[in-house]
Amino acid sequence: MAHKPVKEAHPLTFILTHWINLLAMFFLVLSGFYIHFPFIPGLMGLARGTHFFWMFVLLFNLLFRIIASFFVRTTNMPGTREQDLDYKNWGLQGANTHQLWPTVKYYLFLKKDYPISAKYASLQKIAYLATIPLTLAAAYTGFALWGPTSQIPFFQAGTRWWASLFNWGGGGALMPMRILHYWIMWAFLIFTAVHAYLANIYNFAPSKMIFAGIEEPDALIGH
Amino acid sequence: MTNKGTSFYERLEARGVSRRDFLKFCGATATMLGLSSSAAPMIGAKIAGAADEGGLYPALWLHGGACTGCTESIAQATYPNVADIVLDFLNLVGQETIQMSAGVQTLEGNEEFAEEHAGKYILIIEGTVITGLDGNMLRVGGHPFIEELENFASKAAVVIALGSCAVDGGWVVAYPNPAKGTGVGPYLKSKGVATPVVNLPGCPMNPEELVSVVVEALLLADRDSDGVPVLGPIVNRLDANGRPKWLYGSTIHDNCPRRGHFENGEFVYEFGSDEEAMGYCLYPVGCKGPQTYRRCPMIRWNSSVSWCVDSGGPCIGCANWNWVDQNAPFRGRFRRVGAGVLGSGGVDPAIAAAAIGGIAGAALIAHGFGMKAAKRIGSNATLKTEECKEWETKHAKKGGAA
Repeated sequence: MAHKPVKEAHPLTFILTHWINLLAMFFLVLSGFYIHFPFIPGLMGLARGTHFFWMFVLLFNLLFRIIASFFVRTTNMPGTREQDLDYKNWGLQGANTHQLWPTVKYYLFLKKDYPISAKYASLQKIAYLATIPLTLAAAYTGFALWGPTSQIPFFQAGTRWWASLFNWGGGGALMPMRILHYWIMWAFLIFTAVHAYLANIYNFAPSKMIFAGIEEPDALIGH
Repeated sequence: MTNKGTSFYERLEARGVSRRDFLKFCGATATMLGLSSSAAPMIGAKIAGAADEGGLYPALWLHGGACTGCTESIAQATYPNVADIVLDFLNLVGQETIQMSAGVQTLEGNEEFAEEHAGKYILIIEGTVITGLDGNMLRVGGHPFIEELENFASKAAVVIALGSCAVDGGWVVAYPNPAKGTGVGPYLKSKGVATPVVNLPGCPMNPEELVSVVVEALLLADRDSDGVPVLGPIVNRLDANGRPKWLYGSTIHDNCPRRGHFENGEFVYEFGSDEEAMGYCLYPVGCKGPQTYRRCPMIRWNSSVSWCVDSGGPCIGCANWNWVDQNAPFRGRFRRVGAGVLGSGGVDPAIAAAAIGGIAGAALIAHGFGMKAAKRIGSNATLKTEECKEWETKHAKKGGAA
């Protein structure tokens, strides 16, 4: 459903949390690639410090974002400036029902029009919400690998369980955890690519809004 | 085999080990146990006392599917040498590599020993538990080894799984594990044998590790009315993986002498390079030190002369569970995943992930062209349908339409 992106959709609080998420992911991915394989010499201490710092920033930002959704008001529908508390956009909403399959069909060119939906469409909502367990999984696997925390029973139990799936008898080999941690990063990379693509496929008005709070007067986006 | 009548130090002298040498060994052991070297005399007194009183651990040493590498490794011990361990620390009735008897005779002797010391002896197992062909791939005295293991383990006070093979099957269980090997702990668990198992993974195990367990037991254990040490304190100090915490509580990487180079980002990217000559960190050439729990950098090998990383070889993670599958290729950062797990059998996880990421990226680009072709984007796009307009008007009551 075509509508105009409005600045009431993303108030300043969430512009900031979005920026922090982006910066954190950028530094985490870059330093993570370096820690996986130090492609140029000289930066390991820096890369590890960067990695640990931004992970804590990402975690606190996630916590703040969830709490803020109960206090900050955002638009509740596309094509309107009407606002409501943000957390309501994240639950199962009437406007989302029976929209998942039509949305998939639209993107597969099996349906002409984008289905009418809530502020976030079914697929979009699933993808955004999935980043929460994905972030927590990245943190958990990271702590399971990090020296100071890897021997804490809460993390060691996960290491043992995960290793046992690929390596009968368990024993807590760290290699499967290392690979999982790496793959979670790739899941984030793919999410980010799809997210950036779908957000900006019609024009860059949504980006101007989420990064700078600037509303394009005449822009229309298809969903 | 008891040694009453001759003092412990006299017996050491007879093997060319002076009292001073012995105390040096006690000092090294104290360091390994995380004690100050001032604890060395106490350790010495405990060992000498236990040896002189004849209150030694009754122990039995059996071989599963073993290359005997762990026994060979014991033979490299600084002090005591293999004979000292056999004669003075443990009252060891059987060690299949070095004993005289074989086959049925061995079984009978072991059986007699186990009956005499039921519930009080240490059972040391070296080598994989081979379960292939119902255990008939490995037979001793006409019986499958697994029967022997279950029998003697159920009567022992504690089982020491010595070396990676005994812990989880070691390299024998690497894909596709044709002998259906397993470790002592998992096997006994499957048979419902409740005897505690102390895991000492490593390929091979380091003699100092076994010695430290025995000394730890001497320092901590109470003795029952027969003078046999009670091993509870040892068992209580194991981690979740059944390993003594003081031996496996930190990674190779944590204590590596090249750790400074790692933090500075000074790496060896190629063998034979100047960086290698300068002793830089071996991380990019596949060192598994960061994910391997063991104390090699502190204990070192071959009478503490050197160890893998000191001699220029990246750690291959031999104290990991299923360590060959987990760590091959030894010069890669990741193990391979997929159909096979060894050599060319699998795919590097980084390549797999990059391929999936590439496919996703290509799909998005193709989708973009599709969006253009379907006239959803671009100058001739037709976005607003009548249906949408209606819906927007209906929902734009408060705050006004956008």
